[in-house]
Amino acid sequence: MNEKIEQLVTFIQQNCLWQFFSRTWDREENIEGILTKAAELLTGKQSMLETTADKCFHADARILVSDFKSQFPWIKETSADDVKAILAGVKERMRQLTITGSKNEELNIQNY
Amino acid sequence: MAMKLLNCDTTIPERERHVYIKESGEDTTQYLPISNAPTLPGTLSERGCAFCGAKLVIGGVLKDTIQMIHGPFGCAYDTWHTKRYPSDNDNFQLKYVWSTDMKEKNIVFGGEKQLKQSMIEAFDEMPNIKRMFVYTTCATALIGDDPKAVAKKVMAERPDVDIFVVECPGFAGVSQSKGHHVLNIGWINEKVGTIDKEITSPYTMNFIGDYNIQGDTQLLQQYWDRLGIQVISHFTGNANYDDLRSMHQAQLNVMNCARSAGYIANELKKRYGIPRLDIDSWGFSYMASGLRKVGAFFGIEDKVEELIADEYAKWKPKLDWYKERLTGKKMAIWTGGPRLWHWTRAVEDDLGVQVVAMSSKFGHQEDFEKVIARGREGTVYIDDANELEFFEVIDMVKPDVIFTGPRVGELVKKLHIPYINGHAYHNGPYMGFEGFVNLARDMYNAVNSPLWQLAKNDVRQKELSV
Repeated sequence: MNEKIEQLVTFIQQNCLWQFFSRTWDREENIEGILTKAAELLTGKQSMLETTADKCFHADARILVSDFKSQFPWIKETSADDVKAILAGVKERMRQLTITGSKNEELNIQNY
Repeated sequence: MAMKLLNCDTTIPERERHVYIKESGEDTTQYLPISNAPTLPGTLSERGCAFCGAKLVIGGVLKDTIQMIHGPFGCAYDTWHTKRYPSDNDNFQLKYVWSTDMKEKNIVFGGEKQLKQSMIEAFDEMPNIKRMFVYTTCATALIGDDPKAVAKKVMAERPDVDIFVVECPGFAGVSQSKGHHVLNIGWINEKVGTIDKEITSPYTMNFIGDYNIQGDTQLLQQYWDRLGIQVISHFTGNANYDDLRSMHQAQLNVMNCARSAGYIANELKKRYGIPRLDIDSWGFSYMASGLRKVGAFFGIEDKVEELIADEYAKWKPKLDWYKERLTGKKMAIWTGGPRLWHWTRAVEDDLGVQVVAMSSKFGHQEDFEKVIARGREGTVYIDDANELEFFEVIDMVKPDVIFTGPRVGELVKKLHIPYINGHAYHNGPYMGFEGFVNLARDMYNAVNSPLWQLAKNDVRQKELSV
């Protein structure tokens, strides 16, 4: 499972701008919002799109999931429970790379 | 490899914290260059000033606005039309330059009277123009002029005009970046929400961080028109002053240059709940991906797919012609900051070009996180590079072409290495599908031009041979 997590993390690192928003709280919100929507899409769960923020996370997740499916064929064969576990691992790793382990000294400045 | 002290920097060893060479298995939690930090004494920086970041990059793009620069006239001239951002109203913003022309007597006795007179004179000379930006510069900031008070007086005397004051003298920050910040925050504090536009589409957005370089905005506008999306405000390509006062009305902020305009997108999210969607507008794969995200947000995926199919049919064969001839070429990107991460994978994926060195004048650590995550192993990443570092890196990586500004461009031309204007382009636009073919064409022409070999001939010694 760790190898699969790393494959997805590497893809996100090389392709996705949302992981590098300016501040810790923005990054946290994007990781949680987009990867939760991605897990829902991959497991066939109906997404709630009540706010424009939900719609924005959903838009990024739609494209990410489409890329995941084309780049990593194994994901289509993976069970829903395993997808959830893998995406939870991806979230954790993304937090480590872009928030807790980040050397970016501007992440916790209170104002933009 | 980690951080690298170049040979030319042995007398300024602090520069080691600004230079990084990526190796296999490394990530940004291990190494991240220091950036957005003061330029070190002893290094000849290529940076611009904070005032320039506000005026030349963002404010000066507006097509219906007088740009009054309160200072000596050099500050005005040096930030006038060195960046080519046209407009659809006959390029008003490129035709004229305005300055209060501060002289020694104004510095001694104060410049506010001169400022007011200049503002009135400019409005009188251009009676159809009712909007103005006023910028402080180093001289007028140091003597304590209060341009906001002057602007209030002028607006009280002339109720039909609106004036925005940018108090960001050149010394206010370490680079252009401070000017971006001051203008962004000032604008949202003072002007956003003061005008409501007529809404003509169920789909509304702002397109933020695109300055219509050689027509980028106008090219992308064709896509938005075809998709039926109303762009409330372009920040600030081909935009009117009043368009930008309506930014609060959009459902979505689509962000291109996060460095120069991420601040206003973040504030629009915080204050008005408008989400921020970051995309790359350069490159085929990136542009298609960005359009698909916008389409998914508005639920118009079918229209987007039709648009992408048509654009691919029209432009992809041309791109592939260049890709076949450019694959394997080595490129350096020495620009402001964002184009490093926008371009490094775009040129690699779409054109087969390897980016072997990148330097940023005003990027922050966020920009280096992006570019190192996207960039190649073995590539040299530098913050605020100096002339000697450029020369040493050229020897190390031997690029076939360098995308940079005219200042560094003039240096590399002397080494007979082709350069392309990475800020204002050679023959743009470069955004969108058509634009990336333009970029490929300029790169192809640059690396294949016979001029570079001809320039090596010493005409005193032998006859020219072509």
